[in-house]
Amino acid sequence: MGIPTIYPTGTTLFDPGKCWSGYTLFIARETGCALVDMNGNVVHLWKGLHGFPTKLLPGGQVMGSLGVRSPKYGFMDYMDVVQVDWDGNVVWKFDQYEYIEDPGQEGMWMARQHHDYQREGSPVGYYAPGLTPLVEGGNTLILGHKDVRDPRISDKPLLDDVIYEVNWEGDIIWEWVCSEHFDEMDFSEAARNALCRNPTMVVGKGEVGDWMHMNSISTLGPNRWYDQGDERFHPDNIIWDGRQSNIIAVTDKESGRIVWQVGPDYDGNQAVRELGWIIGQHHAHMIPRGLPGEGNILVFDNGGFSGYGSPNPGAPTGHNNALRDYSRIIEFNPITLKVIWQYSYEEAGFLPKMNNSDFYSPLISSVQRLANGNTLITEGSSGRIFEVTEAFEIVWEYVSPYYGINKNANFVYRAYRVPYDWVPQLERPDEKEIPKLDRSRFRVPGSVWKPEEGVVEVEGTLPYPGPQLCVSKVDEPKDG
Amino acid sequence: MFLGMSPEERLLANDNASRTILELRDAYRQQKANERKPEKMTHQIYSATGCARCHITKRFMKENGMDYEEYDIEADGKDAFAKFYRVHRAEIYRDKDGVEFPVYTDGSVIRQGVSVVIGHLVAGNGLDGFIGRSTLHGEWIDGFNISGGDPSRAGDLLKVMAYLKQNNLKILLTTDGRNPEVLKAVHDENLGDRIVMEVKGPAELYEALAGESIDPNALETSIRLAARFPDYQFYSIVAPMIPKDDTVRYLTPEEIGETAKTIEKATGSKKHPYELRPFDPDSAVDDRLKSAEPLPANAFFKYRTSARQYMVMTQIAK
Repeated sequence: MGIPTIYPTGTTLFDPGKCWSGYTLFIARETGCALVDMNGNVVHLWKGLHGFPTKLLPGGQVMGSLGVRSPKYGFMDYMDVVQVDWDGNVVWKFDQYEYIEDPGQEGMWMARQHHDYQREGSPVGYYAPGLTPLVEGGNTLILGHKDVRDPRISDKPLLDDVIYEVNWEGDIIWEWVCSEHFDEMDFSEAARNALCRNPTMVVGKGEVGDWMHMNSISTLGPNRWYDQGDERFHPDNIIWDGRQSNIIAVTDKESGRIVWQVGPDYDGNQAVRELGWIIGQHHAHMIPRGLPGEGNILVFDNGGFSGYGSPNPGAPTGHNNALRDYSRIIEFNPITLKVIWQYSYEEAGFLPKMNNSDFYSPLISSVQRLANGNTLITEGSSGRIFEVTEAFEIVWEYVSPYYGINKNANFVYRAYRVPYDWVPQLERPDEKEIPKLDRSRFRVPGSVWKPEEGVVEVEGTLPYPGPQLCVSKVDEPKDG
Repeated sequence: MFLGMSPEERLLANDNASRTILELRDAYRQQKANERKPEKMTHQIYSATGCARCHITKRFMKENGMDYEEYDIEADGKDAFAKFYRVHRAEIYRDKDGVEFPVYTDGSVIRQGVSVVIGHLVAGNGLDGFIGRSTLHGEWIDGFNISGGDPSRAGDLLKVMAYLKQNNLKILLTTDGRNPEVLKAVHDENLGDRIVMEVKGPAELYEALAGESIDPNALETSIRLAARFPDYQFYSIVAPMIPKDDTVRYLTPEEIGETAKTIEKATGSKKHPYELRPFDPDSAVDDRLKSAEPLPANAFFKYRTSARQYMVMTQIAK
């Protein structure tokens, strides 16, 4: 990735004519929940609010968490899911999933929420016409943790994923436990073997196996596949992804069965081979009705390291056996698995093999389809949020200036763009174009460049050719 | 002399002679019977090579002077057991792992499993209801239902349990709250390693749920005692019942909440492992309950929410 020591933060580029403008919401590291305008001005900050992630509701209320369980005893267990008004008052809270007593601490109820939740009304938690999250009332779908033992998976204690639904009154009315569906997930024998030995042990309540590591849940919402009679895509069904398994799947809300899935392997039939390996992915969801690409699956395919399978030079035990050092956004048809749109190093204009990791976030990250067809991408590990057109032009870019103290990093888990009118408390801000700078001319104070000075001609030189890299110029041909 | 008798005298003499013959025959048979060795009860054990529970049973019999004939089904006793099994197939249970050994018979009864056999040797049928079939293997043994037997036979029960403990078996007990005095004795003698207590409902609903009432104090005493065992769990079955109006209905979430409250009241703590289990119609004693429509899985969340007010660690069993 090679990020230099000094680089600009805040908004670095903004083309108002090509953007789907609005506010952008994200967690400013160790600061709170920030709402920034297109020019990077922080127009509101819910100080101290946590969120994994935070989401804005129409009317200027925000959802997030009040805190996280001590990392000494829990792994990514957020205590609650809360709804906070513009002035910082908690207007709704759920924490009654499990009563937790950690050493030296008072017992307390916790939601054990992590990575995602959805408020009824909006399938995916971001703007889509006519699919608006409920502000008062409505159920909330929460992704949480549960400690289980399941010898079919491993003899080690597991940090399992659960999806549960709570109503406005705080009653749990539905629950789905991931491990109970292990046999539906098509793990190969090699994968089962690797998983059994190391179900991705993390430090939680002792060492526990975060075997699936789900990081995204959303409902499908109304969609054309269901309208055409495909029951697998019932609007209430839930699409989720497991970072560690490379699985993206749809759970039938009524039966609990997994009714659609890609992964954990991508070496099967031609369609899945052409889709290519999805590795360590985040934020897989179906593009909601009313947005360009509706019905397609949109996912931040991180690359990095994940999966279970046969050992290879990069994964001597078969744990994290899928490896790739660049990311890609893919939008694909869930029926044919054909890739409809992609953004990776290639579309970004980076040199393959040499610079393909210049668009790369091995962890976290997200992607949102905007109403004008643009796509908001959170390249999480470097704190970069940018809006790209269908033709791959970057029309807005923002780099989080919030570097943590506990961790010297400005990473952003997930960012959302919201329409201006969801925040009636603020006047619509003036939008000022920020042209794309010529980086070969951009200098910090004290840095000098006078390219015309001190130049001599060398007799007999030839013109410079294109790049020649120390690798094959031809990729492996695709099967089929 | 016989010829000089009148016909009446001849008939009388004939009767006397017949009686004498019969008396002599009976006396002879009695003498022969007395000459035989006194008859002994024959203990027969069908065992398996390496079966630790068979060894414990045989050790108990030796220590108590009981001779027995042993048939090891993995050695010379294979054919004998096959023959015995063919005749008594209906009386010998087997699970997915096969027949549980030892299998014991004295010719009139068949008993199976170390605890049941020793219980029979100690008390005949006196421990029926206290000791049943064990479903656990290895170091753990279950099948001990404190609330199921005659409390006047508690001494015999303790004797059996103590023997198993001496032989390094860990004992899992169950109770529904009745016989708290027996539970106390088991606890005080440190004979139970884990107890799973079914709290059927609030005390006032026991009769409707179990067909037998319970003294509220007895229920609370048992709950309190159960929480003192090294390892314990409470559970309730969200069950249908037939109250006095004869209408079949399920326990309500509020009644499960009251059940959890009973546990809290008895122990002074909200933090006990407590599980809500679904009703199994096959287990119903009353035929009217066998056809009860099962509750949908999602219905249990209301019960859990209600119970968690008083038992914060309430879980729904799968």
